Amino acid sequence: MLGKYILSILFGALALMVFANDGDEIDFKTSILPLLEKKCNTCHRAGPLKGGVNTKRYQEEERVVKDGRFWFKALNQIKTREMPPSTEPVLTDEEYHILVDGIENILRKALKNQNPGSVVARRLSHTEYKHTVMDLTGVEFDARLFFPSDGSGGGGFDNQGKALFITPLKLERYYDAATIIVADLYRDAALWKKVVPKSYKLTFWMKFTNWFKGIIFDNYQETHTPDKVASESIIPFASKAFRRYLKLEEKEKLMTFFSEVYQHKDTIKNPQRFNESIMETLKVVLVSPNFIYRAEEESDKKVPFELNDFELASRLSYFIWSSMPDEELFELARQEKLHDTLVIAAQVKRMLKHPKAKRFAESFSSQWLEIGELIEPKPIVDPEKFPEFNTSLRKSMFQETVDYFYHVLTESKDFSELLNGNYTFLNEELADFYGLDPIKGDTLRMVMLDNPNRGGVLGMGSVLTTTSLPTRTSPVLRGKWVLEQILGQPPPPPPPNVGEIPEDAEVQKNLGLRALLEIHRSKPECVSCHEKMDPIGLGLENFDAIGRWRTSYGEVEIDPSGVLGKDGAFQGPAELKTMISNKREAFALNLSKKMLSYAVGRSILFTDQTIIEELQTCLLENDFHTEKFIIELVKSYPFRLKKNDFRKKANEV
Amino acid sequence: MSKKWQISRRKMLKGVGAMIALPYLEAMAMPGMSSFVKEKSTQRAAFLFMPNGVHPERWTPSKFGSDFELSPLLSPLESLKQDLLVLGELMNKNATLYGADGHYSKSANLLTCMPIQKTTGENIHSGGISIDQLIANEVGHQTLFPSLEYGLDRITTGVDTNVGLTRLYGSSISWKTATQPLSKEIDPKLAFDRLFRGYVPGKKVTEDPWKKSVLDLVRDDAQKLKNTLGRSDQNKIEEYLESIRSIEKRIVNEENKEKFESNITEDFKKELSRMDQRLDEYQDTYLEIDITKKTRLMLDIMALAFWSDASRVSTFMFANSVSNRNFSFLEGVEGNHHSISHHGNDPEKMEQYARINIWHIEQYAYLLNKLKSIQEGDKTLLDNSMITFASGLRDGNRHSPYNIPLLVAGKGGGVFKTGQNLEFKKNTPLANLYLSMAQGMNIQINEFADSSGTLSEILA
Repeated sequence: MLGKYILSILFGALALMVFANDGDEIDFKTSILPLLEKKCNTCHRAGPLKGGVNTKRYQEEERVVKDGRFWFKALNQIKTREMPPSTEPVLTDEEYHILVDGIENILRKALKNQNPGSVVARRLSHTEYKHTVMDLTGVEFDARLFFPSDGSGGGGFDNQGKALFITPLKLERYYDAATIIVADLYRDAALWKKVVPKSYKLTFWMKFTNWFKGIIFDNYQETHTPDKVASESIIPFASKAFRRYLKLEEKEKLMTFFSEVYQHKDTIKNPQRFNESIMETLKVVLVSPNFIYRAEEESDKKVPFELNDFELASRLSYFIWSSMPDEELFELARQEKLHDTLVIAAQVKRMLKHPKAKRFAESFSSQWLEIGELIEPKPIVDPEKFPEFNTSLRKSMFQETVDYFYHVLTESKDFSELLNGNYTFLNEELADFYGLDPIKGDTLRMVMLDNPNRGGVLGMGSVLTTTSLPTRTSPVLRGKWVLEQILGQPPPPPPPNVGEIPEDAEVQKNLGLRALLEIHRSKPECVSCHEKMDPIGLGLENFDAIGRWRTSYGEVEIDPSGVLGKDGAFQGPAELKTMISNKREAFALNLSKKMLSYAVGRSILFTDQTIIEELQTCLLENDFHTEKFIIELVKSYPFRLKKNDFRKKANEV
Repeated sequence: MSKKWQISRRKMLKGVGAMIALPYLEAMAMPGMSSFVKEKSTQRAAFLFMPNGVHPERWTPSKFGSDFELSPLLSPLESLKQDLLVLGELMNKNATLYGADGHYSKSANLLTCMPIQKTTGENIHSGGISIDQLIANEVGHQTLFPSLEYGLDRITTGVDTNVGLTRLYGSSISWKTATQPLSKEIDPKLAFDRLFRGYVPGKKVTEDPWKKSVLDLVRDDAQKLKNTLGRSDQNKIEEYLESIRSIEKRIVNEENKEKFESNITEDFKKELSRMDQRLDEYQDTYLEIDITKKTRLMLDIMALAFWSDASRVSTFMFANSVSNRNFSFLEGVEGNHHSISHHGNDPEKMEQYARINIWHIEQYAYLLNKLKSIQEGDKTLLDNSMITFASGLRDGNRHSPYNIPLLVAGKGGGVFKTGQNLEFKKNTPLANLYLSMAQGMNIQINEFADSSGTLSEILA
């Protein structure tokens, strides 16, 4: 499959060369368009669209390029012979060649001009805010529940600028948060000392010498003034918070404000007067858009240009640490060394070794696998049906996935173990819940498994619960989840008016879910997608709606066997898991898209196709090596470069 | 229309002289005569959203006109029948989105009545401003808060890859602009504190004399930052600037603050104390939220906001679209909202579906009764309000956008003729209702979204 894939790329490239030389390109208007008309447009036309697709819109080559992502997907369906569907005549070799190679050439040609895509200024996500506040001040602040929640952007992550809005309500909360954080900081003497190492208080002797020198020297300037002392705390704090050098006017503005507050507080005694004035000034920093947003400056260049070192440092640190750069990254940025690929590679290695990488493990894995609701304060299963599903169990399940991902990321360094492994992370409660050999303690630790059914995300309580309904399992949802989140091949939406499986427990007991689904699947409009989803979900039926092992629904025994299309038959969860983890190309492609989207904070675009394929190849050729993959990613064009937004600026209109 | 009528009444009053005690004098009393009596009705508007549609056969009352009998689903509104408008056969025509049908395209634009942009998150666009925000733009400057957006659930995260839409579309009905959804407040405690923190008897609030200066400084930061950025970035920073301006307006507007504080009477303070206590007792837990209790707290806060004139416009989302809230706590229901809404015409599931609908109507009735219990001159707060209840779908099983479930309660300060069950021409634009509401609030517009006119039958 891989060979074939590479071959087809090679062939594509070769063909492109040959055609370019001969001038014998497959012409869109004369060759491709008539075929589209004959083979595609008959179904995919305006009106109630088949699969939401209207190919009639593509009358010009430019339009094909504009919707390049769609056309790569469409080509894939033609290549795998899903399209045209079995009810229509098959494409002849000639037709196949014109459509597949012709369109692919058009797309590849368009991809030759590298394009980093545009990333909009990103407001810190609530997780990023929390971690940045922690690294900046040492104060622990639970931003997720304090701020109104955000939605997810294109890649399904909460760090995508286009979907991060600010509203009056949110901004009020940012203000309140700053007040709380600064107060907490002040209350904790040790933390305060770190941010404000020097306090201001004049000893009698200092007062005296100031007075004395003032008499003797006309132009005597006090060195130990509150402003000067305060600036030694405020300026470094603001610079760290803004993640760059401060401009002169920014420094002046902050210090002017400090003085103003300090003057007003003349009824309060030092050092309290001094400290309170610093607190107000730090608040300005924490509410400033320079802190809340990560914006990358425009340049006057017409072509894509490299981000500056500070911007790159932030991209790195928010990717791997969900937070601001540390001192070492800042120092490298000051020395302008981060563009050295060796330096950046060394930094990735260092950053992955640092415990802060666990934040990436948590943020990325919980959003990608959609298990975040486990730690949200709302019920997700029926408390009467599943009384054992308590808060601490929920947290343990969540943690199992995070710890597992973290281990894969930093220890085993093989992403394919996410799908299949002979170990997992358990504590006493979870081991007991899964019915595994007992262990002691609340802290999760790595446990080797004899039982091949657990191990890997498909055997985890977190995923198994969040892909179930509150009252029962749903093989359809689990199957759909595997196709979407693991293999990156989401099925199209169900037609309206389809109905769901009866909720009634009695019916389930008597028939079993498999039989119910078969009735469901007998409908012709359902079969093509459900024959992909259902076997996967049914193969996981040994896990109940909260991830416990079971062998029957009451009276009816569970039959977890099935057939996974061309991959053949499996007997149960363990074999199913192996089969899914053997779909290496699909998994590698999906993981590449997901992680690039997370890293750059935007949806995957057509122009990312080249880099996505390179990342996929990187995974496939290096046994899914985590570190090599992440280094490849941060060295990539979209991660390091930016292009100008050529629309007129608001102040120029 | 009603405005002219009032002006002429006022002129008459001046002409005749205030010493003639007319029986209807209290309603038009001059300012300052009594703190309870307002010169003119202050109109409020709220929009309540219920996800997942209704049992299609049990919603519409059997007889039309003013002599109608409530349907089974509407039975909790029995005592409020005379305050109610049941509106049949309206449709949000722009709610159908080819290739991405389902829920999202029918909720994000429930109040904008324009087509949404199909996107997983890069080009979020609701088609236009939502009607609540249009009203807030006109009347919001008179109150401390131009509008209040409430709900019960966090935004649903992720992308629905099936339909290629961000789930954010299912979580927002209030749009300040087509590209800016407003955040909803879902924590009753935070919602209450935002409005009333400084007024609860016995609760201390720390002064914040520097707030204005801090905001000034960060606004300046934003302005400077904006100049160094590209256009899309600038739009993001503009959101920030807008938000700052809106907070500043509230801080500096002493007049509004005084007006608001004059409404914080001793009676009202007692209410605040009671509410504060209820909030302390209430706590979200991971295991079970008493959703009825939480809903009522949020609705009570909305009522307090209307009563004290903290705001005149509000939205409330019972849940996000496609919500699968577990309703097994209801008698005779076992399962989850969205799942049950796909009842497949199974009578037993449809019965459960109906019970979930009734629960929503009960909460709506709770709010209406609360508003009705508050006197404003010779009227009640409900009389001065227009409280809409809607779902984007008729039958959840089919995602049907036709004949959507739609109620309005309250006379809107005398604008609406309530106590009617009306059936309009099939597929009458939903925007016609919104246009009627806006005009009823003296907002000078002749069209809204795809409106084709007003609903003259509902006008008094």
